[in-house]
Amino acid sequence: MDVQYINPFIVAAQVVFKTMLGIDVGMGKPELKNTCVTSGEVTGIMGLAGDKKGTVAISFREKGAKYVYKTLIGDECETINQNVVDAVGEITNIISGQARKEFEKKGINLNAAIPMVIVGKQVEMNFITKLPIISLPFYFAINNGQPDEKEVIYIDFSFE
Amino acid sequence: MNVLIVDDFSTMRKIIKNVLKQIGIESVIEAENGKMALELLKKEQIDLIISDWIMPEMTGIDFLKACKSEEQTKKIPFIMVTAEAQKGNIMEAIKSGVDNYIVKPFTPEKLQTAIEKAKERVGK
Repeated sequence: MDVQYINPFIVAAQVVFKTMLGIDVGMGKPELKNTCVTSGEVTGIMGLAGDKKGTVAISFREKGAKYVYKTLIGDECETINQNVVDAVGEITNIISGQARKEFEKKGINLNAAIPMVIVGKQVEMNFITKLPIISLPFYFAINNGQPDEKEVIYIDFSFE
Repeated sequence: MNVLIVDDFSTMRKIIKNVLKQIGIESVIEAENGKMALELLKKEQIDLIISDWIMPEMTGIDFLKACKSEEQTKKIPFIMVTAEAQKGNIMEAIKSGVDNYIVKPFTPEKLQTAIEKAKERVGK
């Protein structure tokens, strides 16, 4: 897959987390996923269509999803409830919007639908395309940046 | 000032409510989509509308067109707050009479400026 399809997601993740959550995210090493399963435990999925077609999935581990909800709204959440699911859906929507804006700068127009959220580990997903799925891990510090308190968000996508 | 927030995601309604509180606006009514919002507009005195674009039942753009075509609601400042950042979407909203347009994510300052500009635009 062309590198020009990766950069819009990197920019989108960095802008959205910084503006909405005040979080600086650092990108880890991109990987190709061999299986069509969710990378984390709470995953927002959005189909994209237009000049290209594909799917983007934004996946949080449980701790990261609860931290993001707390940072966004100010309330603590003991479990992954409807509020956390809703927050992950909205973050997915906003990251997708920012990425589509970046794609538009490259002359690629994409439309999106309402995101869907899956809760569970290694849940099977359909990525529409037959091309490999690229997984971008983004790391961020929680609890005032203690070295052992890093969380990860995965942005997995495939386009053709 | 009584603000109507229209968004299908409860999280975004809470975020907008928190941001409005930060800029001194506490009187807020919520709706999950345009259809529900139109019903509320018949019953409530609304001074400002903040709406998402993509929603089930009735989208933000259809809700905007409905508001701007009615005598009773066309002078209410209407701000679209959406993840739809593409030029085509923004142009469609402008043509449909939107008074200001904010792309998510946004800061409190950006929302405050948008409210002031939208009010100016409708002469309030």
